[in-house]
Amino acid sequence: MSNTLLSIQGLTRRFGGLLAVSDVSATIAKGELVGLIGPNGAGKTTLFNLITGFTPPSDGTVTFDGQDVTGRKPWQIARMGMGRTFQNLRVFPNMTVFDNVSVGAVGAFGQSPWRALVNGGAHSRAVSERSWEALERVGLTAQAGDIAANLSYGKRKYLEIARALATAPRLLILDEPAAGLNDTETAELADFIRRLHAGGVTVLLVEHDMGLVMGSCSRVIVLASGRKIADGTPEAVQRAPAVLEAYLGVEDDAA
Amino acid sequence: MDVNVPDARLMPATLAPPAAFSGRGRRFAWTLLLLAVAFGAVPAAIVGTGSSYLAQIAITTMIFVILSASLNHVTGTAGLLSIGHAAFYGIGAYAAALLSTKAGLPFMVTLPAAGLIAALFGFLVALPTMRLVSIYFAVATLGIGEMIYVVLLNWVDVTRGPMGIRGIPPISLFGWQADTLLSRYLAVAVIAVACVWVLHRLTHSYYGNALRALREDDQCADSMGINVERLKIESFVVATFFAGIAGALLAHTSAYIAPDNFRFMESILILAMVVVGGLGSLPGAVVGALFMIVLPEALRDIGDYRMIAVGATMFLSILLLPKGMLAEGTALGFVRRSFSRGWATIAGGMPVGWK
Repeated sequence: MSNTLLSIQGLTRRFGGLLAVSDVSATIAKGELVGLIGPNGAGKTTLFNLITGFTPPSDGTVTFDGQDVTGRKPWQIARMGMGRTFQNLRVFPNMTVFDNVSVGAVGAFGQSPWRALVNGGAHSRAVSERSWEALERVGLTAQAGDIAANLSYGKRKYLEIARALATAPRLLILDEPAAGLNDTETAELADFIRRLHAGGVTVLLVEHDMGLVMGSCSRVIVLASGRKIADGTPEAVQRAPAVLEAYLGVEDDAA
Repeated sequence: MDVNVPDARLMPATLAPPAAFSGRGRRFAWTLLLLAVAFGAVPAAIVGTGSSYLAQIAITTMIFVILSASLNHVTGTAGLLSIGHAAFYGIGAYAAALLSTKAGLPFMVTLPAAGLIAALFGFLVALPTMRLVSIYFAVATLGIGEMIYVVLLNWVDVTRGPMGIRGIPPISLFGWQADTLLSRYLAVAVIAVACVWVLHRLTHSYYGNALRALREDDQCADSMGINVERLKIESFVVATFFAGIAGALLAHTSAYIAPDNFRFMESILILAMVVVGGLGSLPGAVVGALFMIVLPEALRDIGDYRMIAVGATMFLSILLLPKGMLAEGTALGFVRRSFSRGWATIAGGMPVGWK
């Protein structure tokens, strides 16, 4: 299974008596664009936090690129090549656009006070160039010197993606990137994600917006009440009775 | 990877800077100006007037520049509100005083030792408190600060308690003694400039960006691969190290220290310098220290009213300039352009990153 990038096995998380995520297993291969959907309260966010190390699992394992990363800290997992964005926009508001993105690059290249004092030129250049490149990929170079809080909502979304790209992620996990965007903006974002994926980034898209997921992803994982109820192509998933019942049941044309 | 985003590579044309920003002379102009004030104008005034009062103010200002700049590092840049900075200043002062008066060690040893001992205490305080956030961390530093003050006051066998320590030898280096007003000032100024330079390099770099990211959203920084806890501890240790250095300078220039020099009010004074200057702004911290030391002295003529004037000035400056006299954003841009620390995509371009 050398082609497997992320593998989760029997992942379970209890919060007191509540079973937020129950025995979820799945894999993501290198180069895939996978969607993770589920109705509100399905456990998407918890699963996300289990994968990225923010919440330790009650049971089960997370394997990233052949290494067991269960119980590791978020920064350790991030440094191994798992980049993420946040559902509710978390840019560093008082820093410039460029400085925001540079934090991702600093995370990837490592931080050290000594390098800031002596002989850090090569490190700084690498961070600078990586950050600029990430800004180019999302088309925000013209705003590089602006304070992040002054960007429009839509641009801040791309800033978050650029910051995650600057960590040079082998797996990019986007947490509801379409939240708060209108239809046109969502279509643009879908286009952007597809191009990112075509450029070689493995993407896990955690989404609420069915159109975005069904239209972009080659494979969709469906979560309901903390369990995985379907895993397959968008077409297969849409026809699966369990999904229809749990999620799409009331609508006949959700895609 | 070849992702063609439509409006990428717009930059070289739009970033082309106005000619005024491209001069190399500007970089040295500011550095030279600052050095000329510290090592030219102020010493000239001290020699010219022969006033020990002026020299004392200049020395106090330099010591508080170190305190303010170091507190800014942890509180302004990294966002950990510390209200016990004076305690580490006190640890450094007592370390230097005791090492020189009891163990007879020379300044060359007591100065770094004072910094390291204060930093060691800083490290021990940081370890358990780094998980605390905002006001909780502040209260923890308040508690530690008061504890240290009470120990200095009551551990009479070692610290001589409220009587303080007398007869601390002046700054000396290889037999040379800073026993004139001018030499005392110069020795302190050289050390203060060196401290500010180190903090400048740490703040105005990608390491500094990581510190600012902690302050802005530490969970988010965590998920970018930033080792948040280590970075918080580092910033606290660095700040307490320099507070210790400042303490040693106080001990060796005033010859006498007592616990009252390191009370809670001193911590608040240092914090006020940082806030008035601009939280997160190193130039601001320097200006804030200058302002808060020099203003009360300059207003001596109006007698008891001066503290009212100082308070009112502080109040108004915060009201009118909530981000401080030199706000962080302005200061970072200024340093990028004028101290050759900025990285630009094209030669001579408007700098956006750090070198």
